[in-house]
Amino acid sequence: MGFNIERQDQTVIVTVDGRLDGANAQQFQGYFTGALDENDRAVVLNFEHLSYISSAGLRVILIAAKTLRRRDAQLVVCSLSDPIREVFQISGFDQIIQVQSTQAEAIATLNA
Amino acid sequence: MQQGPYKILVVDDEVDLEPLFLQRMRRLIRSKRYTFVFAHNGLEALDKLSEDSDIDMVLSDINMPQMDGLTLLEQIPKIDPNMRAVIISAYGDMQNIRTAMNRGAFDFVTKPLDFKDLQITMERTLQHIEEWKDALSSRDRLVALENELDVASKMQQSILPTQFPEGLDYKVFGHMRSARNVGGDFFDVMRLANGKIGLAIADVSDKGVPAALFMMSCRTLLKGAAIGQGKPSDVVKTVNDLLVEDNEASMFVTLLYAEYDPESRRLTYSNGGHNFPFVIHADGSSAVLPSTNGIALGVVEDMEYQQNTITLSEGDTIVMYTDGVTEAVDSEGEEFGMDRLLSVFGGSSPTDPEKASEIIFKAVDAFAGDNPQFDDVTCLTLCIG
Repeated sequence: MGFNIERQDQTVIVTVDGRLDGANAQQFQGYFTGALDENDRAVVLNFEHLSYISSAGLRVILIAAKTLRRRDAQLVVCSLSDPIREVFQISGFDQIIQVQSTQAEAIATLNA
Repeated sequence: MQQGPYKILVVDDEVDLEPLFLQRMRRLIRSKRYTFVFAHNGLEALDKLSEDSDIDMVLSDINMPQMDGLTLLEQIPKIDPNMRAVIISAYGDMQNIRTAMNRGAFDFVTKPLDFKDLQITMERTLQHIEEWKDALSSRDRLVALENELDVASKMQQSILPTQFPEGLDYKVFGHMRSARNVGGDFFDVMRLANGKIGLAIADVSDKGVPAALFMMSCRTLLKGAAIGQGKPSDVVKTVNDLLVEDNEASMFVTLLYAEYDPESRRLTYSNGGHNFPFVIHADGSSAVLPSTNGIALGVVEDMEYQQNTITLSEGDTIVMYTDGVTEAVDSEGEEFGMDRLLSVFGGSSPTDPEKASEIIFKAVDAFAGDNPQFDDVTCLTLCIG
């Protein structure tokens, strides 16, 4: 798995490659927490290249969402493949975390 | 490195070596880096080692009366397998040096002793000893952790039912196969007071001991709630409310809870973020049960859950499962998936729940081949006869 982070104005865009599961969820959490700035107002998680997410992976997304909410910052997840979208739907996570089809749409919602 | 002085056992039959050592090493003795104990042959050295467990390393000559240094090397591990010894040999005596190294000496120095060189060798040996001790304690911690995982795994297995209620026209069977690490799947089958049967299947986020503990409390709360009330959606809501409180670790569990009433053949279910069960009809056709919205438990407080009721007919089989089934991967990385699962019975309906479960496990295994099982695989099946 690989992570990448880039900033567009005050939006942090995190892309994840490969699997996000019990084997690397903690590593991702550490990376994510370390990459964020106190002043970051919005985070987009781009899952275009994410091939699999386990419940341990969902858990770190949940922790990220809670952390950001406490700081009054927003989290949007985008570009989910069909199997990953299904995981979000089944678990009900799409009801508590905003999901957008593309990165452009995700950024547009944040700026709206 | 350790702060206090290192205790070094010097073994040599030359009596003038002791004052020489104390004189040449006086600074390091005064600064409490080293303290020395002396023995004059191998036997005496073994006695000192047995008496004093504080000795950190041995520095020994080879030629000595009663027991020589090479024999001593063989005997040291019997007293302390983690003891390290440095040999003092005559210059150029490769034969003895080789024998000493073969017998486990850590290093050697040659006579006449160069105390500067000796000190470097001693420091290197002591550093190795420190690293070795560190590695040993990591290993001990790992063993302790493995034991803990073993306990958690037994805990997980022990709460699963092994006896299943059976009626004139229904049968239930459940089976979980855990992945190598302790996972968080569980299922439960409960006889409820009103003659109904409570059926639950769940998957806790993450693995390991915390997941197993979360699972235990989830299962206990579920049992309490299921026995106490009538509506599956209320049962799921109650468990969720209790789990959300005090959930610092942000763990969650997906749970499907259903109640089957043998009297009316009605199955009422409520879902908190779990995979929806499916039904195989007598004619072999299959369908995923209609969805009720609901988020995994432990995430959102005051969440209202919905429920849905279906009426089953003779020959119907309900299959509840965890994502370990659908997300099993083959060597190409492809997932087993829902389509394969729905067609697993090849157009006929299984009449025995244990057989149905066996067919699913076998299909998953055949699909995955040698690919390791990442997640717990669990099935709970109900056949209406």
